[in-house]
Amino acid sequence: MTNHLIIGQYVPGHSVIHRLDPRAKLLIVFAYVLIVFLANNAVTYALLSLFAFAFAALSRISFSFIARGLKPILWVVLFTLLLHLFMTKEGDVICQIGPLSVYEGGIKQGAFISLRFLLLVWMTTMLTLTTTPIEVTDGVESLLGPLKKMRVPVHELALMMAISLRFIPTLMEETEKIMKAQAARGVDFSGGRFSERMKAIVSLLVPLFISSFKRADELATAMEARGYRGGEGRTKFRQLAWKPVDTVFLAAVALLFALLCLLRS
Amino acid sequence: MAEPILSIEGVSFRYPNQSDYAVQNVSFTAERGEWLAIVGHNGSGKSTIARMLIGLLRPERGAIRLFGRLLNDATVWEVRRRVGLVFQNPDNQFVGATVEDDIAFALENNGIPRLEMVERIREAIRQVHMEPFLHYEPHRLSGGQKQRVAIAGILALRPDMIILDEATSMLDPRGREEVLETVRRLNRQQRITVLSITHDLEEAAKADRLIVMNKGEVMAEGTPEQIFRLGSKLERIGLDLPFAVKMGSRLRERGIPLRIGYFTTEELVEELWTLYSKK
Repeated sequence: MTNHLIIGQYVPGHSVIHRLDPRAKLLIVFAYVLIVFLANNAVTYALLSLFAFAFAALSRISFSFIARGLKPILWVVLFTLLLHLFMTKEGDVICQIGPLSVYEGGIKQGAFISLRFLLLVWMTTMLTLTTTPIEVTDGVESLLGPLKKMRVPVHELALMMAISLRFIPTLMEETEKIMKAQAARGVDFSGGRFSERMKAIVSLLVPLFISSFKRADELATAMEARGYRGGEGRTKFRQLAWKPVDTVFLAAVALLFALLCLLRS
Repeated sequence: MAEPILSIEGVSFRYPNQSDYAVQNVSFTAERGEWLAIVGHNGSGKSTIARMLIGLLRPERGAIRLFGRLLNDATVWEVRRRVGLVFQNPDNQFVGATVEDDIAFALENNGIPRLEMVERIREAIRQVHMEPFLHYEPHRLSGGQKQRVAIAGILALRPDMIILDEATSMLDPRGREEVLETVRRLNRQQRITVLSITHDLEEAAKADRLIVMNKGEVMAEGTPEQIFRLGSKLERIGLDLPFAVKMGSRLRERGIPLRIGYFTTEELVEELWTLYSKK
């Protein structure tokens, strides 16, 4: 695992979703996240779910794998569901449990809000599952390009993102090394009281910070030695290519948007 | 005599807030296609010289000329294109997400058009024999491989000179040999000038010429043979003589009639196994 470590949760693949232009994927997911809030009845939610499922099916990533990504938010979903179930007082009373009564509107409302939540996380998970972090960076840089005119340092931000991504495995390796070195000197990272564990963490963080600053300094020197002088006059090796299929997917989202507007009550 | 590609005249440098000079009144030249080694113990000022050569540090006194032109603000970017510096730590100079991205970094900085970039990356990766690793991320490469990628990043700019600043000191013996072999090949085949900065005399022994630095000053200059004759003088300034050199002088002390004063390992072996038949 450590020698082929995957940053984020990217699942390598060659499906049509994997090969979409990252800009298209970012736009699709962003638009989807917005239009989810248009849905307010069974038909519109069914449409949204259908789209999400179709998107996942096309990525050829198994549903169970995606579902695992949803696990952490399951509690939040359950909580919202219960909250709506008991707090919404609309329509007929379905059943009565002690002092609490469940209304028809509560069931509907609870189910819709939970579903909305699941769909949001589902689609954003799809983005990170099918796009490498560096592609996301390229996509963000390209999409934010126009902001350069407003003096937003887009190139610098993208470079920062790319460098931090590149150094995650390096720093993880280093953390492991320091932990082993400190453990060899008798530091116990797992046991003991809370205050003792905190002290142990300090013995990890201090060397890690110092070495990170040293790395940053050396990296900056190396970048300068290799002729880096800001984004001006720089060409780019990574190039994004917008393909017809990207337009097709964007059109599909537009269609979904139109349908939602039509069918919402 | 060939044109000097690099000449340093009376250069001195002090780090901010320090009274002692890190480099004091240093002068030397390097010729095109030459392999020049600067050796010295930690703090002898050899790395400071490397940094001054590509304008990362500015000398307090003296002049640095590269390709016949004075190094100053106007020429520094041109110099950084034609002179590549390989640093000590393989990780802290790897900027790209993958090998090809990293090789592309300096090309991007110099505004090379994308199509030409692809061509140059392919050419550079071939020269360091790393073709199968083009799409690898840095954490899946060994230290020696990362240093070869760093060299490829320099080669892509079609440089005149490569400076190795302790570039092999963090590598295992195999990685070190990989890197040195690569540089040696480039030096011979493409006549790229090499300036190797090291505290390893074993590595320096393979240079055409050596400059020994001590406490910021040039202590000696000459061919490896001339330098290794200094023997214990080198050991006194913290340098470790190569095994073959030490072995050779011990054997001579014992009265074994070895022919010359300085040996590489191969020469020593050759000398020893032919010794008896020569008598």
